[in-house]
Amino acid sequence: MEIEFQRVGKKYESGHDALSQVSFHLRQGEMAFLTGHSGAGKSTLMKLIMMIERQSTGKILVDGVDLHTLSQHAIPYHRRRVGVVFQNHQLLFDRSVFHNVALPLQVSGADDDQTGKRVRAALDKVGLLGKEKLNPMALSGGEQQRIGIARAVVNKPQLLLADEPTGNLDPRLSAEIMNLFQEFNRVGVTVLVASHDLALVARMRHRVLTLNQGRMVNDGGFA
Amino acid sequence: MARPPQQPQRPSQRGATRQNHSVQQKPAWRAQGFDLKLYLRQHQAFLIESFTRLIGHPLASIMTIMVIAISLSLPGGLFVLLKNVQSVTDRWEQQSVISLYLFPSLEDTEALSLSHQLSSRADVASVEYISKEEGLRYFEQSSGYEQIMSTLPENPLPIVLKVIPKAIVDLNTLPDLQTLRDQLQSLPQVELAQLDAEWLQRLATMISFGERFVYAISALLIIAVLLIVGNTIRMAVESRRDEVLVMKLVGATNSYIRRPFLYMGFWFGLLGGLFASICILLLSWWVSAPAARLVELYHAGFELQSFNAVEIIICLTISAVIGVIGSWVAVSRHIRNIELQ
Repeated sequence: MEIEFQRVGKKYESGHDALSQVSFHLRQGEMAFLTGHSGAGKSTLMKLIMMIERQSTGKILVDGVDLHTLSQHAIPYHRRRVGVVFQNHQLLFDRSVFHNVALPLQVSGADDDQTGKRVRAALDKVGLLGKEKLNPMALSGGEQQRIGIARAVVNKPQLLLADEPTGNLDPRLSAEIMNLFQEFNRVGVTVLVASHDLALVARMRHRVLTLNQGRMVNDGGFA
Repeated sequence: MARPPQQPQRPSQRGATRQNHSVQQKPAWRAQGFDLKLYLRQHQAFLIESFTRLIGHPLASIMTIMVIAISLSLPGGLFVLLKNVQSVTDRWEQQSVISLYLFPSLEDTEALSLSHQLSSRADVASVEYISKEEGLRYFEQSSGYEQIMSTLPENPLPIVLKVIPKAIVDLNTLPDLQTLRDQLQSLPQVELAQLDAEWLQRLATMISFGERFVYAISALLIIAVLLIVGNTIRMAVESRRDEVLVMKLVGATNSYIRRPFLYMGFWFGLLGGLFASICILLLSWWVSAPAARLVELYHAGFELQSFNAVEIIICLTISAVIGVIGSWVAVSRHIRNIELQ
């Protein structure tokens, strides 16, 4: 999936400018990091791509389609093409690991065979194949994060968005998670990871977009 | 951005066109198009899942279901009562009489010819001719006014024709009998035509009043059930807020999110209707003995009617539909308010 921001601005009702004049182009199959201090607008940028929020000014093109032209009705179908991983894992603790990961498939109407195969494949990728029957509560923070990743990729999305996916993990686990994203990127998924862990980002050697108070201050090589 | 060369099933995007890529990415089930079997199986899964959820909170569910059942059993019970009153009057096989009081000036021969004329009508079974003298005799025997009557210079009573219609009087034939009465009243020889079914007319009025009463009560209680279901579902949605948010995040449509709650409303309605039916059956059984005794005083062979199978099915259908509607309204309003932030 290809994403293009053209002078995008987001002003909240409170008057706060979360983003202003942000432009960048994330090509098909590219992997990039989004950095900046907290409150710089990283999450807002991700929400705009997910259509959780709508931009106030400018244009966002996804695969050449202006998101502004999509109706409310089209939003769920747009979201199915995007996998998201959030810092607070957003897992459901009333069901097993398997059913957490299966959620995107159920939502888009996959049959049971397909669901079983894909969920196990996704869990296998994140190294949790043996734990599908457990409740996520019984797993460690790093494992929970990986459930979230499995859920994000189970639908084979064309874009993977991760907002502070290593937020509260130790450096070793953080590196593992980042390597996972890199693997998905290798098989063609466009990946955008928001992180304030600059050291880790630097080690990954990918394109880095830096936001500062809602403005894109750096778009280039490695941080 | 170095890429390993070995990617057999998914070649590097640099080489592949986007067209190819999107085809490869397209999940198999989406390419198949609409699958009715799958769709039905999903609905079946929702049906079972929502029922399991109901059982998961037995106390709360039973309380809601019982409130619905009580609300529905009141109009249901009134309906059964009305049905029985109607059935009693329907079985009241009684011949009615239209008494025609002829003008006193009318000659006996004229009255007789009218009597013959009337008895040949298709809707008249027979006509009894009561002459002035016979009338006087009846009057004296029954009233004890012999002395007063004997002081009168002449017999003041008119000739009376007792017309017995073919139709047996009940609520269905009452309008016809009233029409017949009106026709006879309009005859020039007739001063007054009287249908001796006043009690039935009063009953008919009361039943039509009762019907309206039942409709009004039903409407109010159906609204109550809508509110009960709506409130219960609203709380259910609220308690599953996180789930709704995650589902929205992974691309669930609103109709998909709505579905389990609609099924929950369906179950509430259906089970409420079921318990209401049971309540009504128990209630009818409980009052059947005294009711039968009461009716036996007037007429033998009465059997108290309760809900029959068709009425139970209608009751269940109505209550299930109310459940779905109540939950639809609540869910639609509420799901819109739960938005990702």
